[in-house]
Order: sequence, then structure tokens, then C-alpha cells
Amino acid sequence: MDIGTLRRDGRTDPFFDGAADDRLVIRRCADCDRWHAPDATGCPECGGDRLEWAAADGRAELVTWAVLHGRPGPDGTAPEPALLALVELAEGPWLQARLDGVAPAGLRAGLPLRAAFGHPEEGELHLLFRPAG
Amino acid sequence: MTDGAAIAGLGMTELGKVYGRSPRRLAADAVRLAAADAGLALSDLDGLLVSHGLGGSPGIELAGALGLRDLRLLSQMNAFGATAGAMVAHAATAVLSGQATAVACVFADAPLRPRQPSGAAYDRGAREYHGYGGMTAALGFRSVNAFYALAARRHMERYGTTSEQFGAVAVATRRWAAMNPLAQLRDPITLDDHQNSRWVAEPLHLLDCCLVSNGAIAVVVTGADRARDLARPPVHLWGWGQGHPGHRQERGSEFGLTTGATISGPIAMKMAGITPGDVDVCQLYDCYTYTVLVSLEDYGFCAKGEGGAFAASGALGPGGALSTNTGGGQLSGYYMWGMTPLSEAVIQARGEAGERQVPARDVVLVSGNGGILDHHSTLILSPHPRT
Repeated sequence: MDIGTLRRDGRTDPFFDGAADDRLVIRRCADCDRWHAPDATGCPECGGDRLEWAAADGRAELVTWAVLHGRPGPDGTAPEPALLALVELAEGPWLQARLDGVAPAGLRAGLPLRAAFGHPEEGELHLLFRPAG
Repeated sequence: MTDGAAIAGLGMTELGKVYGRSPRRLAADAVRLAAADAGLALSDLDGLLVSHGLGGSPGIELAGALGLRDLRLLSQMNAFGATAGAMVAHAATAVLSGQATAVACVFADAPLRPRQPSGAAYDRGAREYHGYGGMTAALGFRSVNAFYALAARRHMERYGTTSEQFGAVAVATRRWAAMNPLAQLRDPITLDDHQNSRWVAEPLHLLDCCLVSNGAIAVVVTGADRARDLARPPVHLWGWGQGHPGHRQERGSEFGLTTGATISGPIAMKMAGITPGDVDVCQLYDCYTYTVLVSLEDYGFCAKGEGGAFAASGALGPGGALSTNTGGGQLSGYYMWGMTPLSEAVIQARGEAGERQVPARDVVLVSGNGGILDHHSTLILSPHPRT
């Protein structure tokens, strides 16, 4: 399925800076060191509101996945399905991303993954995970 | 003061591909029908609760549109698919505390447009996205179907639940719908039909997904003593509860494995003085077949992880051990958020379900589910006063 053009929003730019540098940059609580997704607005664990940007190591495992199919058009053809996943980073938080380099039949909960980035012709990069090793 | 609260009136507009009426107009029609059903004049209403809806809401301006004056209770409420149960509980609490005497609760929506696929009503696609949240939306994490597919897959991975077991829910629900003149989809389906229906978001086939409907449904809540003197058999409110688990997106999360029914169910059943074994009829929010399975587990009708096997045993359909979604639910009947299970519960509790009437209807459980399994409400209804 088509991914629209992705632009920065001024609030999560360090994630895209990291992506351009092939690093997975997310949030970490300055008070309790717990890691969170890049769009976290505070730490639900300790209640702190000081979230820093920090590079995660990129290792993750598959929690669950879905193959999203587009609506067939009037001629009966449908866009290429999208392989969506919730992954659990080694640091603990779950991220939403697409899977790449693996077929749905090869998926199982717990599958080791590694972060990567998709490079569209226009706009910012987007987050992918590929089987590790 | 009153010895209990009851649903005294039920109003339902035409449901489904109903065009040309705004949500507010549909809501006004449903409230008029519900008041008339109870044998009340609109001027007898002193409370109005209006549900949020996908295409906005009729708003509390609905009171003015209906010409209601000097109300003692008026609010718009939103807990997504749990709103209907939350509204009825709020109305019952107001009646029991003497704040109001007759409260209408209404849901209306009109997301369908002529000549537009029903799925388009819930797709918020755009050409350009912004920031990290925009990135996930661009990747496909804007589709309710996708989130429920992720939840369903997690249940399958953890407990061995199968697509065929989801299909058993779809088939049983359609068997009930075939006996409901109000249901939008009434032609029988087989497990093969389910398995052969197109993928929407794997592991969910088209026949795992609910309808999209235009229309409105309202109920009127009064004190039990007053309801006894009105036009229709009272449906007594024995218990209610809410549950909002706040699943975190991090290690240890139960996303996909449990719902807020683990909280709302025991609260409502304790208030009603019942256990799951006392429930005769279940009306569960079935936006997807999977939500039926996971809700059944969380209410304690089967063990955790055994919802699939429970459905595949034939328990849910006509003649089964636990009559569930007897009007065809949201999968085959009509999609009016939490008013779908609530309206069918009222019809069954009154004994007015015709061909699909279940013989035992002393205790009816109504379950609402909203967000992505984030919000739950439970009602326990009965044709008998709570003793």
C-alpha cells in the first residue's frame, strides 16, 4: 500500500535526524531511565515529564503483526498489502512499524528483529524492522 | 426516590443505508420513538444524554431541536463503544439519586454516503503526513481494522486461537440475524464462506468485520416503580460497571489478550448479585468476531484462551449453551455502537424477539467495547425487579 509523503512536525525531529544517520532515536525518561516511543509526552511509569532523546540499540522482537489489504478498485485489483507489526525493543517499549524482508508465513511471536529505515524518493525516512542475523 | 431503575422505552429509526437525515435529525427521531414506546410525552423527559458519534455527535443542541425545556440532566458522553452502557448507568444513577425522573439516552450516526464503499467511512487516509505519529499513520496504523488484526493475531499466537474459530462466531451470529427483520445481512453463511471472504487485515477476513450503518437508537430510563405504570414491560437494571485498562505499549502489556471486561464485568455482576453462570443471554460488542471471543473469556464464560474452542462448540448460536448476539450483532445486524447490544437486550428481555426469542431471559448481559479494547461497559438487565 502506498505510503504518503512524510514531513517533520517540529516535535519529533530528532527521530528523523537519527533515521537519516541510520540510528533508532527514541525517548528516555531523565528521572527513571525508562525508554518510551518517540511520540511519548511524559513517563507513565514515574510521572516525570523530562523525556530525553536517546539512541536505542535497534534490537527488537516481534509481538504481533497484521497484513493490511487495500480495498479492491472498480477493476478488481487491489494495492500491494502492507505488513504491519508491533515490535518490542530490547529496551522495553513497543513501536509500530512495517516489516521488511520476510513473508507473513515466516512470522511468529518472539521473532528477533532489527530496526532499519525505508528511503522514499521524497520526504522523510520511515521505520522498518527486518529479521535479525 | 425509587427502588431501582429500569429501561421503559426503546426507539429505533430505520438502520443501515438510510440517507438524507443528519445525525441530529436521526437522534431526534429515535428519542421521539423511545418516549412514545414508553407511553411518555416528550415533555415528560427531564434528562437527555447524547452519545459521541463517528461523524460528530447530535450534540446537546439536540435538546433544543426536540423542544425539551427545563431539563435537569443534559450531557454529551464519549467512551467510544462503551458509551451506551455508560449513558444508561449515568441515567440510572441520576434516577436513583432523585436528580431526574425520565432520562433519554441516544446514539446517532450517519457515516455512510450514497455510492461510497462502507469501509471508506472509517478510513482517514491522507497524502501527506507529519512527524512520528504521522509516520505510523502513513505506514497503515490509522486503520481500526489493522489494530484489531494486531490484537487478534496476538491472541492467536498466545492461545492457539484459529481463523476457523473466528468463523464460528460469524456463522452463529448470521444464524441469529436470519431471524431478525431489522438485520442488514440475513442470508445464511457457512464456515467456507467465511474462509473464502476477502482479507481486510489478516488475520481478519471481511466476514470477521462489522457493518457500517446510519441510523439512531434511544432508550428511556426511569425509576422501576414508574416504569411499571408505563406502556411497556420494564427492563430492570440490576447492575452496571465500567473498565478502562489503559494497556501500555511496552513489555508486559496485555494488549490483545484481555479487555476492560475483566474490570467492568465483576463490578456489574457483584452489583446485580449474579455470577456468569446466571446469565441467560449475552449481547456483546462484536465490532469483530475476535472481540466476542476475548470478551467471553474476560466475563468468565470460559477460561482465558478458550474463547475460540467455546465458539467452535456451537455454544453461541440458536439452541447453543449461551445465546449470544441474538439479533445478529454488529456483524450481521446493524452497527449502532453500544446501542446494538443494548437494543437487542431490551427486545429479548421484554420477550418481543419473535422467531429468535430465547426461552430463558431472566438475566441478560450487555457489553460495550470502545477504542482498541481500551474502554468497556457492562449492564445486567432483567425483566424482573431486583430482589
